[in-house]
Amino acid sequence: MLYVELLAQGLVQGSIYALVAVGLTLVYGLLRILHVAHAGLFTLGGYIGVLVTNATGSLLLALVVSMLVVGLLGMAIYRLCYQPILDKPPYVALIASIGLFIAMEEIYRIAFGPYGISYQNPPLQDVVYIFGITLRLGEVAVGVGTLVLIGALALFSTKTRFGTVWRATVTDPKMAESFGVDIIKVRYLNFFIGSALAAVAGVMVALLNNLVEPTMGSVPSYKALAIIVLGGLGDVRGTLIAALALGVIEAYGTIYLGNYLDRDAIAFAFLILVLMVRPQGLLGRA
Amino acid sequence: MSITKKVMVALAITGSLVSASAFADTVKIGMNVPLTGFAAADGKSALLGAELAVEQANAEGGINGTEIELVHYDDQASPKQSVPIANKLIGQDEVMVGISGSYSGATRAASGIFQSEGVPYISAFAVHPDITKSGDYVFRTSFVGEVQGRAGAKLIGEMLGKKRVVVITLKNDFGQSLAAGFKAKAADFGINIVNEYEYSIKDRQFGPIVSKVKSDKPDAIYASGYFFTAGPLVSQLRAGGIDVPVIGQEGYDSEKFIEIAGPSSDGVLITTSLDRDSTVPEAKEFISAFEVKAGYKADMVAASGHTAAKVAIAAMRKAGTTDRQAIRDAIAATNMVASTGTISFNGLGEVKKDVQVQVVKDGAWHHYAVIDDQKLLTPPVE
Repeated sequence: MLYVELLAQGLVQGSIYALVAVGLTLVYGLLRILHVAHAGLFTLGGYIGVLVTNATGSLLLALVVSMLVVGLLGMAIYRLCYQPILDKPPYVALIASIGLFIAMEEIYRIAFGPYGISYQNPPLQDVVYIFGITLRLGEVAVGVGTLVLIGALALFSTKTRFGTVWRATVTDPKMAESFGVDIIKVRYLNFFIGSALAAVAGVMVALLNNLVEPTMGSVPSYKALAIIVLGGLGDVRGTLIAALALGVIEAYGTIYLGNYLDRDAIAFAFLILVLMVRPQGLLGRA
Repeated sequence: MSITKKVMVALAITGSLVSASAFADTVKIGMNVPLTGFAAADGKSALLGAELAVEQANAEGGINGTEIELVHYDDQASPKQSVPIANKLIGQDEVMVGISGSYSGATRAASGIFQSEGVPYISAFAVHPDITKSGDYVFRTSFVGEVQGRAGAKLIGEMLGKKRVVVITLKNDFGQSLAAGFKAKAADFGINIVNEYEYSIKDRQFGPIVSKVKSDKPDAIYASGYFFTAGPLVSQLRAGGIDVPVIGQEGYDSEKFIEIAGPSSDGVLITTSLDRDSTVPEAKEFISAFEVKAGYKADMVAASGHTAAKVAIAAMRKAGTTDRQAIRDAIAATNMVASTGTISFNGLGEVKKDVQVQVVKDGAWHHYAVIDDQKLLTPPVE
């Protein structure tokens, strides 16, 4: 039973990685920018989730407000931070992004205090028994929520006209533009969706830990980068698989390798191993 | 020399005299403390605690009539920052005494500089054994990690009578020195360590460890951590159906731990320095004065910052001079009651005091027991 429970734990963690990493890989696919400040948006999602839930008592409302606000802020970051420096070499945007991320952490600390904030009455804390394993309702919600959101995203991108345009632009921005696609609109959409997904991840992590701290984004800021490299930069499907795989590897690794390697070391050892065999990423074509 | 020139020279001389005396108007205590970054919450409490001690002392006339000034800089709990800060405090601010309100890495690095410059330095709550080994100018007003680990072994094995124990260790100097002390004395109290897990300070999700601990079937869990790791850990252990006692240490010691873990925090025991139900006037007065100043309840870190500053101030008063050697000697001879207990030092500069055991009851920290076995709690002497 332990193995199954560890698998479930790994998939929950992997779902959170997936929600964060999808936004990052979308931005990379479209603009070739490593959007480190994305992890700052994830943290903001957590803060808004806790604040709105504590004020209104509704987690659902908190989720919607968080997605909207963080989505719009993601668009603003594109407009104000990245767009003016798009014609510069890629490291310029990377440096801007890292700077923005550090500034965001310190702004959260000043605005919300260094101690972090918690739900007054944390929702979804009940324990459920599925197939003989125990999970918290919050953990089930993370798994199901991720499945629904990613499913909806898949439907949107394959079944709607705008979705097709979006996919085409992410795959080959220049070609799409030459076909008359309004590339600016696609970029805004891209930032909105990616940031809103990170916000969901933030609300979920806040729920699982009952704690949102200014530095909550520091681990995702680099781990999500590892995941999108694993997934084959810009490849959404590969990113999802890489995120779930990493979650599961970490869950087993924490138990069986934890006294030699910490969680991050396990993640990066896995990254190195995969890249030695498949330098193009898990699903990428050589 | 014309009259005007003479007047100007006279003015210049008086001016310099005035500014020199203005310079000596206050006597300075320096402090390195993390105010940004991951340790900012502890840093804030430590700073407020030290500020409170300085305000209280100034209200009583400072150091024999001279006002005390607390000069502090943000070290981000990083040795890279604490070293230049130590140099700045000594060289530029000319502080009489230094206090560390920071973690071990930063404190250890700064302690060497204070030692070599002959400026007394007091670590408020950093636990690494090497800190006081920097030399005879370095003191510590909190327990070295091993001592608290030994107290944890006594608490679990003897006072609670639990023998099958799982150890969950925070993988930094704090957690590892606690685990070392605990393991050194575990056998003496009949404890069988059935399994040990380590986690990183960045971890907040303990699902895999919880699943594994369930299959270990322990009688008790000795878990090191800070409130921001222990809060999620304890609530996840309880949600996973593990209801055996969890024993922590002073890193849990914050209202925030109870807020994060919620009802799961009930019954959690810790070894620490501050007794919330103390009848000692110094502790009672500190607890109420701190809440007024800070707007939130006192924690171990705040009490430690307050204690360290109080020890420094008492020594400066006793020495009565700005001779740092005399102040060092006065610190070494300290014997005073503070919010964290009766403070005196051994030859290495390690504090000798009792360990407080606190328990979470009805959403607040309360007195559970005191461990005063001085043989068990003997701090290292070299």
